Amino acid sequence: MKALEVKGIVKQFPGVLANDSINLSINKGEIYAIVGENGAGKSTLMKIIYGLYTPTSGEIFVFDKKVDIKTPHDAIGLKIGMVHQEFMLVARFTVTQNIVLGDEPSKGIVFDYKKALSEVKELSEKFVLKVDPAEKVANLPVGIQQRVEILKILRRGAEILIFDEPTAVLTPEETEDLFKTLMKLKKDGKTIIFISHKLKEVMAIADRIAVLRRGKLQGVVEKGKTSEVELARMVVGRDVVLKIPKAEAKVGGTVVSVRDLMVKSKRGIVGLKGVSFDVRAGEIVGIAGVEGNGQAELVNALIGFTRPVNGTITFDGKELRVITPFNIRKKGMAYIPKDRKMRGLVLPFRSRENIIMGQHTLYPFSKNGVLNSIEIDKFATKKLEEFDVRPRDIHTKARNLSGGNQQKLILAKEMSMEHKFLLASQPTRGLDIGAMEFVYHKLIEEKEKGVAILLISLELSEIMGLSDRILVLYNGEIVGETTPDKTTEEELGLMMLGLKRQKRVAQ
Amino acid sequence: MNSNIPFLNASIAQALDYTAPILFAALGGVMSENAGVVNIALEGMMRFAAFFGVWGSFVSGNAWVGLLWGVGIGIVLGALHAYITVKWAGDQIISGVAINVMAMGMVTYLLESIFRTTGYSPPVAYFGAPASKIHLTFLKGIPILGAFAELTILIWFALILVVVLHFVLYHTVLGLRIRAVGENPHAAETLGINVFKIKWFAVIAGSVLAAFGGLALSLGTLSSFTNSMAMGKGFIGLAAMIFGKWTPFGALGAILIFACAQVLQLFMQGTATGFAKLIPLGFYLSLPYMLTIGALIGVVGKAVGPASDGVPYKKES
Repeated sequence: MKALEVKGIVKQFPGVLANDSINLSINKGEIYAIVGENGAGKSTLMKIIYGLYTPTSGEIFVFDKKVDIKTPHDAIGLKIGMVHQEFMLVARFTVTQNIVLGDEPSKGIVFDYKKALSEVKELSEKFVLKVDPAEKVANLPVGIQQRVEILKILRRGAEILIFDEPTAVLTPEETEDLFKTLMKLKKDGKTIIFISHKLKEVMAIADRIAVLRRGKLQGVVEKGKTSEVELARMVVGRDVVLKIPKAEAKVGGTVVSVRDLMVKSKRGIVGLKGVSFDVRAGEIVGIAGVEGNGQAELVNALIGFTRPVNGTITFDGKELRVITPFNIRKKGMAYIPKDRKMRGLVLPFRSRENIIMGQHTLYPFSKNGVLNSIEIDKFATKKLEEFDVRPRDIHTKARNLSGGNQQKLILAKEMSMEHKFLLASQPTRGLDIGAMEFVYHKLIEEKEKGVAILLISLELSEIMGLSDRILVLYNGEIVGETTPDKTTEEELGLMMLGLKRQKRVAQ
Repeated sequence: MNSNIPFLNASIAQALDYTAPILFAALGGVMSENAGVVNIALEGMMRFAAFFGVWGSFVSGNAWVGLLWGVGIGIVLGALHAYITVKWAGDQIISGVAINVMAMGMVTYLLESIFRTTGYSPPVAYFGAPASKIHLTFLKGIPILGAFAELTILIWFALILVVVLHFVLYHTVLGLRIRAVGENPHAAETLGINVFKIKWFAVIAGSVLAAFGGLALSLGTLSSFTNSMAMGKGFIGLAAMIFGKWTPFGALGAILIFACAQVLQLFMQGTATGFAKLIPLGFYLSLPYMLTIGALIGVVGKAVGPASDGVPYKKES
C-alpha cells in the first residue's frame, strides 16, 4: 500500500522554481529519505505536503486517495505529522501543554490539565519516549524537545511522520537515540519521511532514498544498491571528493596563547574550568567535544563577549587585559560563528553591506563618516566572485541566501579583514556537501598562508581530517591532547564522553 | 480611633474609584498582548468610550444605554486595530498611535459639535449617582470592608473581571490557545489553531475592556465627559500590565500601588502640615506618574512578556 504519493508537484516562488514536477511514491511502513543540498527543494516539498505552502500545480494522494491539503489542520486530519527543523514549541509551556495544544482535553470550556498530564504520561510510556510531562520545555535539552515534538504528532494519530533535518541540532548521542525511535516507529507500522543532507545518516537509517537537486528529482535508489559516493554524486551533480585535502603544517610562532582560562556560562555556572593551550601560525588546532562542554564559553571569552573569571589570553606575545570584539579584531582576529543568522550576518542587509561590516569605518569604504558606495560595490562584486556566492547580485539580502551561500558570504567578509588568527566555530554546521567542501578548502588555504586557526567542531571526521593537533573538551576541561595520526575516532569519542583521559604535556 | 474609620473607608473607596478605569485598561492590555498584539491605543479607546458613553446616556437618559454605546465604539476601534495589525500585519505601534491621535481630534470635535460646549459635556445619567450605586449597608462601619459598601457597578465589574480573566487565560482551552498564539504563533498554526481568529478575538475583547475603562471615568466617577479625560490613565494601565508581568492579578497589584500614591496625593494636598506643606503641590500631583516610571525602571529588565508580543504574524505563502 502506498502511504503517500505526489504527482507532478510544481512550486514557483518569485524568481525561483523550488519544485519542478516532482513525483514520489512512498510505501506504508518504510523509512523514506529525501536528500539534497540546501535549497534543493526538500523543505518546500514537505511544507506543501503539510499544508504550509500551496503548490502551483500537482496532485497529492494519501493512502491511495486524492487529497487537497490547504492547511496543517487538513494534514493532521489525514494523519500526517511533521517534526519541523526549527521546533514548533512554546518554550514557556510545559511538555504536556505543548503536546495537547490544539486538541485539549476539557470539561466544557475548562482545560482539564490533570487529564492532559495523565494522557501524556500514557503516550510517553506507549511509545517508549521518556519525558517529564510537567517540565517546562524551555528547561529541556534539544534532544528531549524533539521527543516532545514526536509525541505531539503521535498523539494526533499520525501515520505518516515527516522529519525535516531532524539531526541538524542533535549531538551524536541524541542522534542515535532518535534513530532507535525511528526504527521502533517503523516497526509499529508508521511511515517515515526523513529529510537530510547528511548522507551517512541517510545510509544508516533509510530503506529508500530520493535525491533532489535544484528542485528536480534526480532519482530514487534503494539503500542496498547504492553507496555514499554514488549518492554524493547525485546530490551535487558531479564527482565530489569528500576526503579532506591534507596539507603539511609549516608551523610558525605562537599567535594565541591561553592560560588557565576560566569562564562563566550565561547561566552563571563556570562553564570553562581553567584551560590552557597555544595556537601557532600555520597550524589548525581542533577542539573536539560534545556541544555544551565549554565551547560557547571559550568562544565568548576569545571574542570578548564574556569577561573571564580567571586566566589570561595572550595575542601575538602581548597579554590582553580587557578583550572587546573591537580591540581583538584590530589585533587580527577573524571569526566564523556557529550561528550564521545571529552573529554572522545582518539578515535584512544586502550582500554589499554585510561584506564590509567591520571594515565599514575604514578607507576606502568610508571617509569622514560617509560611505563610498562605488568602492563598496566594486569590492563586494569582486568578493562575491572570489568566494562564489550565489546569486552574484550584491543587492541580495542576506536573509534570502541559502545556508551555504550565507556561510560563503561570512567567509568573504572575515577573510578580507587583516588577520593572523581565525576562530572557526562549527564552520560547516548545517551546510551541504558542496559548501562544506568549499569551507574545508578555504581553511586549508588560510593555514597555508600562515594563519593560526582554532577549529571548534562537533563532527569528528572534520576534526580528524583538518587538525594538526586535537584538544578534547569535556565538562569545561581539556581532557586530552593528541594528533590525528595517533588517535582514532573511537578514542576521541570516549574522551568526549569523559570515559577516557589523557595526560597532557605541560604547556 | 473610631472616628477615623469613616475617613479610612472613604480613602479606600476613593482609591478603588481611581483604580477601576486603569484596571480595565490594564486588563485590556493583558488580553491583547497575551495573544501577541501590542495595544498602545488603550488611552485613545478609553477617551472614545468615555465620550460615547456620555453621548448615549445623554440621548437616552439611561446610563445603561450609554454603556452599550461605549462598548460599541470599543468593538469598532478594536476591529480597526485588528484589521490593521492582524489582517494586514501592520505595525502595532503605528496603528496604536494613529488611534490615539484620532481620539484627541475626533472626540474634541464631536464634543463641540454635539453639545455646543468646549471642555465638558452637560451632566447625564450615570452609575455613580447615589441611587445607582450598589449598596451593601451591612458593611458600613466595618474597617476596610466598609469601603465596599457603596461602590459603582463598574468598580465591582473591574474587580470581578480580574478573577474572570485569570480563569480564562490560565484555566480554559481558549486561554491556552491565546497564550500559545502570543508565544509562538507558528507552533500554534502547525497544530491547526487559527491564529488570526484568536488574535482578532483577543484584540477586540481587549479593546472592549479598555472601553469600559473610559466608561468608568465618565459614567462612573463623573457624570459627564471632560475634554481632559483619560489623561494618561490608559498609559498607566499599560505600565501596570508590564509591571504585573502581563497577568491579571499582577496588573491589579501594580495598580493598587499606584492608587495608594494617588490617595496619598489627595490626602497630602488637603491635610499636609509642617514640612510636608513645603513640598509643592505639583510634586504630589505627579507622584503616581513618577511611581509608574520608577516601577518600570525597577522591573523592566526582569519583566518578560509573551515571546511573540508585538511581532506581526504572517502566514507563509
